Amino acid sequence: MNRMRISWLALYVCVYLLFLYAPVLLLPIFSFNDSSIVAFPLSGFTLNWFALLWQTETLHSAVRNSIMIAAITAIVSTMLGLCAARAASRYAFRMKRGIMGLIMVPLVLPEIVVGVSLLVVILQFGFELSLWSIVLGHVLICTPFSVVVLSTAFNNLDRSLEEAAIDLGETRWSTFRLISLPLIMPGVIASLLIAFTISLDEFIIAFFLAGTEVTLPVYIWSLLRFPARLPSVLALGTILLAASLILLVSAEFIRRRGLRRTGATDRGGLF
Amino acid sequence: MNEMMIKLTSVTKSFGTVTALDGVTADIQAGEFFSLLGPSGCGKTTLLRTIAGFEEPDSGSIFIDGQPMRGVEANRRPTNMVFQSYAIFPHMSVAQNVGFGLRRRRLRPDELQRQIDDALRMVSLEGFGERAAHTLSGGQRQRVALARALIMRPKVLLLDEPLSALDKKLREQMQLELRQLQRAVGITFILVTHDQEEALTMSDRIAIMFEGQIAQLSTPQDLYMRPKSRQVADFIGSMNFLRAEILRRQADRIEVRIEGLGKVELAGDQASHNADDQPAAGVRPELLTILFDETDRAAREVEGEITGRSYFGDMTYYEARLDGASNAVTISMRNTSGRPVLDAGARIRVGWEADSIILL
Amino acid sequence: MSPGSLRSWLRSPDGRGLTLVSPPFIYAVLLLAAPLAAVAAFSFWTQNYLDLDRTFTIANYREVWTEPVYRVLMLRSLTVSALVTAVTVALAFPIAYFVSFRVEPARKPLWIFLITIPFWTSYLMRIFLWKVILGYNGVVNGSLLQLGIISEPLNFILYNVNAVVITLSHAWAPFAILPIFVALEKIDRSLLEAATDLGDGPLQRFFSITLPLAFPGIFAAALIVFIPTVGDYVTPRLVGGPSGLMISNMIELQFKKANNPPLGAALAVSAMFIVTAISLIFVRISRRYLRERA
Ligand SMILES: Nc1ncnc2c1ncn2[C@@H]1O[C@H](COP(=O)(O)OP(=O)(O)OP(=O)(O)O)[C@@H](O)[C@H]1O
Ligand SMILES: [Mg+2]
Repeated sequence: MNRMRISWLALYVCVYLLFLYAPVLLLPIFSFNDSSIVAFPLSGFTLNWFALLWQTETLHSAVRNSIMIAAITAIVSTMLGLCAARAASRYAFRMKRGIMGLIMVPLVLPEIVVGVSLLVVILQFGFELSLWSIVLGHVLICTPFSVVVLSTAFNNLDRSLEEAAIDLGETRWSTFRLISLPLIMPGVIASLLIAFTISLDEFIIAFFLAGTEVTLPVYIWSLLRFPARLPSVLALGTILLAASLILLVSAEFIRRRGLRRTGATDRGGLF
Repeated sequence: MNEMMIKLTSVTKSFGTVTALDGVTADIQAGEFFSLLGPSGCGKTTLLRTIAGFEEPDSGSIFIDGQPMRGVEANRRPTNMVFQSYAIFPHMSVAQNVGFGLRRRRLRPDELQRQIDDALRMVSLEGFGERAAHTLSGGQRQRVALARALIMRPKVLLLDEPLSALDKKLREQMQLELRQLQRAVGITFILVTHDQEEALTMSDRIAIMFEGQIAQLSTPQDLYMRPKSRQVADFIGSMNFLRAEILRRQADRIEVRIEGLGKVELAGDQASHNADDQPAAGVRPELLTILFDETDRAAREVEGEITGRSYFGDMTYYEARLDGASNAVTISMRNTSGRPVLDAGARIRVGWEADSIILL
Repeated sequence: MSPGSLRSWLRSPDGRGLTLVSPPFIYAVLLLAAPLAAVAAFSFWTQNYLDLDRTFTIANYREVWTEPVYRVLMLRSLTVSALVTAVTVALAFPIAYFVSFRVEPARKPLWIFLITIPFWTSYLMRIFLWKVILGYNGVVNGSLLQLGIISEPLNFILYNVNAVVITLSHAWAPFAILPIFVALEKIDRSLLEAATDLGDGPLQRFFSITLPLAFPGIFAAALIVFIPTVGDYVTPRLVGGPSGLMISNMIELQFKKANNPPLGAALAVSAMFIVTAISLIFVRISRRYLRERA
């Protein structure tokens, strides 16, 4: 009876995983498929789509734009997140709930509303749409994620460590640099990565706020309607997926080797 | 030795509706081992943190070595602190931890190294300098925290329950070492503890705190023998209370009748009760003696009956009712060889002395 | 305020906190609060071909709340979103349960990783690939034909509301699994043993202990999925077909092609109002439920 129940659950888990993985499994298949129409039946093996990646200049500039926007967004939202998270976790100040609430609001706001409202303001004031307007929007939606990640980091940091440094003569700022920052570094890196990833994949705000230059998702969107070069985007997706998997696995590998060396016990981590 | 190091005047501090410090006034001498003792939540940590500069008092003043401390930040005060959690920087080596406060003094590398080595030697951690801080045991972390604070040569060292995280054996050893270290360096130590035994064995003077106020500030002997209130008497050791009635009050003699003990004349310093209150006579369990042998004699004797006992190996604590008393008393007796263990119901003779009585 | 008291204020927790929080706060005021206020203002104005008439009017709102087109879109957005929420949470619960209760503790992080891998690809590509899966010549039809279950391709699975629900349920799966998983992880395992001790069967134990204790996670998951899906733009556009369009598509249309930002603004404000109201009611109900049980 017990065995039966477990196996029903296991069967369901298998089916569900198939559902989760269905689109990802198709990604490599169509990036090697010798047809510009992304549909079954398959028509043969080719590496052309990968080769085409190298030749598509617009794709290159879209990727460059996206990476630049994502990098700036990651840095700015992490810095804003550091301010907000530290204020929230260390001090009681006036209207704290309201202020923190406003900063966190983009978390529950449809992205289209953020995009539309920024569009209205930018156009009303007669500014040009550019890649910078996308950065503005992305920082707005990434900051709450940074705040969440960094608040956890600050809350896990023993307050008396900072007080000890001040007690030993350091200033608030040098204490932050010498003690707090090194100890919350994992949180900072997580915040940078999360903001970078969100920005890199964000479509709607970029779609509303893009001027003449576009980001990768906006470029992909245009291909979805005129799909002659679509498989090369799938090829790019395959490469990115493989790269992020390799990166994650090797990061975990290094972390574990580091752990073994210091002899610490393993808590958290991937495998 | 009688120079004043810290002067606290009516220091008051509230957190919202909680009054953590309620008009604390005290003088702490230079070179003194001073303890703050009191139950949890009485404001000991808050007082220590106001001295260190982590909290600014709402009112009142703090002088350290003659200097007013209002507006002086923690990093500019001549105090250093050993935190309850030790606050060892986990991402640094032992030497980096110990030398952390010297960074600002821009010493030559060999001078820095020498001072670090000295500090480590002082806390018996020679050769630990290169160890990563997170690999240390609890006792070792405590020593590193001490070395890190003492290397700064503060005028006052503040210790917030530094021994509470250690096991009993290690704690007793560290009590001795801390006391010796304090004598050796001659720095004023202020120790926060809720362990009365710790306070009694280590301190020159103790301030007992209840609910944000200092209830009594005195030497360990004085606190134990001459507590000024029932609260203090109860908190330090245990105390039997018997109803008493004042018969006659003279310049420095008081004649009282104590339920179960009878009439006795007390010296003036044995009575510190509020004149309005119904007085009670207090006597420590070890100052009542059961006279086991027919031939045992004491200056004053009364009779009673055993009602219960608890056995502690070296000691036995008897519950007894003295004839004519309404409260039971506890009597502690050392278990020497040949001494019988009495059962409930046994009749006893109890010996006592007039100067073991205090009137509260 | 004198310089001295300013300095001491700057050193108080209040002063320090406000100083520190001001950069992100000012950023949010300038780029979120002000733009939202601008949108709200727009919704009371009128677009006359190329220029904006700034006289106050509630005509836009009247149109939004009375015209059937908008009502249909709004209701469809809400029903699709509610459906997606129900489906996603229901499908996610057994997975979270499996990882929390059946997987060895050391292997749990690996399973969480396994669940999130498919989401390390572009959102747009994932949705597009669902189109490939559900299409007329798609994977589903192909497989069903091959297996002889159907004799000709099904066409009710793409370009309609069903496709939107399936695709969104996929897109939000990890956001439902994780909160439920966290709630399940918090359950004290000795409670379950105690229940077994008292003679509860496995099913009874599940309904009397596990499920109620998982409710906070389930509520959180529902909210996390519901709020953003109402405003989803890409999925209806790619797999919804004309009958699957939702409110965001109309907002975009008004702001861009139809060149009627005030109407678009009124739509956006109305949508936000409705979503906020529903979410607050939901939060209130779940709080009350959780409190009553406690
Ligand atoms: N930062 C703070 N915010 C609010 N209340 C506080 C704060 N610090 C202390 N308190 C309150 O002030 C009172 C005194 O606290 P304090 O930490 O000084 O007690 P303590 O004597 O050190 O107790 P313990 O032995 O438990 O450490 C307590 O009621 C405590 O709750
Ligand atoms: Mg304390």
